[in-house]
Amino acid sequence: MDVLWAASTPLTAREVQDGLGSRELATTTVLTVLGRLERKALVTRTRDGRAHHYRPVASREDHVAELMRDALDGAPDRGAVLARFLGSIPPDERAALRDLLG
Amino acid sequence: MELTALALLVLGVVLAEPASRALATARWPARDPVGALLVWQAIGLAGGLSLLGAGLVYAVAPLGDSPAPAFATLADAVVAGRLPPEVRTAHVLALVATVLLGMRLFVVLASVTIRTLKARRRHRDLLDVLATPWPDAPGTRVLDHPLPVAYCLPGRSSRLVVSAGVLEVLEPDEVRAVLAHEQAHLRERHDLVVLPFVAWGATAPFVRGMVCAQLAVAALIEMRADDVAAARAEPHELVGALRAVGGSAPAAALSSFTTALHARIGRISAPPEPLAAPLRLLVRAVAVALVAVPTAVLLLPG
Repeated sequence: MDVLWAASTPLTAREVQDGLGSRELATTTVLTVLGRLERKALVTRTRDGRAHHYRPVASREDHVAELMRDALDGAPDRGAVLARFLGSIPPDERAALRDLLG
Repeated sequence: MELTALALLVLGVVLAEPASRALATARWPARDPVGALLVWQAIGLAGGLSLLGAGLVYAVAPLGDSPAPAFATLADAVVAGRLPPEVRTAHVLALVATVLLGMRLFVVLASVTIRTLKARRRHRDLLDVLATPWPDAPGTRVLDHPLPVAYCLPGRSSRLVVSAGVLEVLEPDEVRAVLAHEQAHLRERHDLVVLPFVAWGATAPFVRGMVCAQLAVAALIEMRADDVAAARAEPHELVGALRAVGGSAPAAALSSFTTALHARIGRISAPPEPLAAPLRLLVRAVAVALVAVPTAVLLLPG
């Protein structure tokens, strides 16, 4: 994932393998991991001739922001998704919190 | 039987509204969070049983003197493709309304569960790619973000997460107190404790008592987790952590948030006297009785 985030263009599995700088990883292993990341909607694949190119769906910062939104959204029904150290916020003040988060 | 149906209806309505409101504003739950959580579970279960039971009992009222055999008579007749002549339109309407309410409750619970599991899986996938292990406590991950937040992702494959902001504002001992709090949520499966109330709240958001219940249960699991954390770490570490994280959390600008935070800090620094043993026993007995009464009415011969 770090290799894909560092790259400015979509990469092939081979280029990812080179980027990892480890000859011990088989290309098939890299492909398996890329396939798993694709299923988890973290990378997308485009076909260019015979080669498949992979690129990240969103930047690392965007994903961290998504996690933080999940974690800070004060909806009480989020309690079932995750339990936060500082409890939840009444529904009528959630909009105010969202404004604060920007 | 009509009287039984009426009694169940009254019990259901009393549990859903005045009883929920009274329990949500009572002071004793802070002195016995576990007992209060048991009573809440009993109210949710008994309220549902009573309301659904009232409709069913009314529908089969003309068919006998006690509910269970009358249900059997109606079921046999319906399977045979006919309706007993004693069953009038009002009874059929009650039956349909009850079945619809029951189905709605089931569908809401199922969809809340599916949505929750999906959101959790997505969150976990992202965490596993983005968060780095924290060497000081095995099983804990650090999310690189300046806002202080600590939380856990419940489920069979659970995760404990602290943000870089938390490590910034807290001493290691305070971080451990926070982690003890989150581990209590995970170990006691507080996500399952809140789930029925999320479902009730989503089924009947217009009933104020349901919303009160949801908020009260959410507050109680925090008290319970604080109690566990205060017993494992030093209470002052937990208070320090609450002050530091609470003061710099984005929600600190909300007055209700700071009020709730001060209430929690107050409860840890000067814990209220726990309920006396006989009272704790009484609370648990009430919880059992709440569920036992509608169950007995529905199942025992009258």
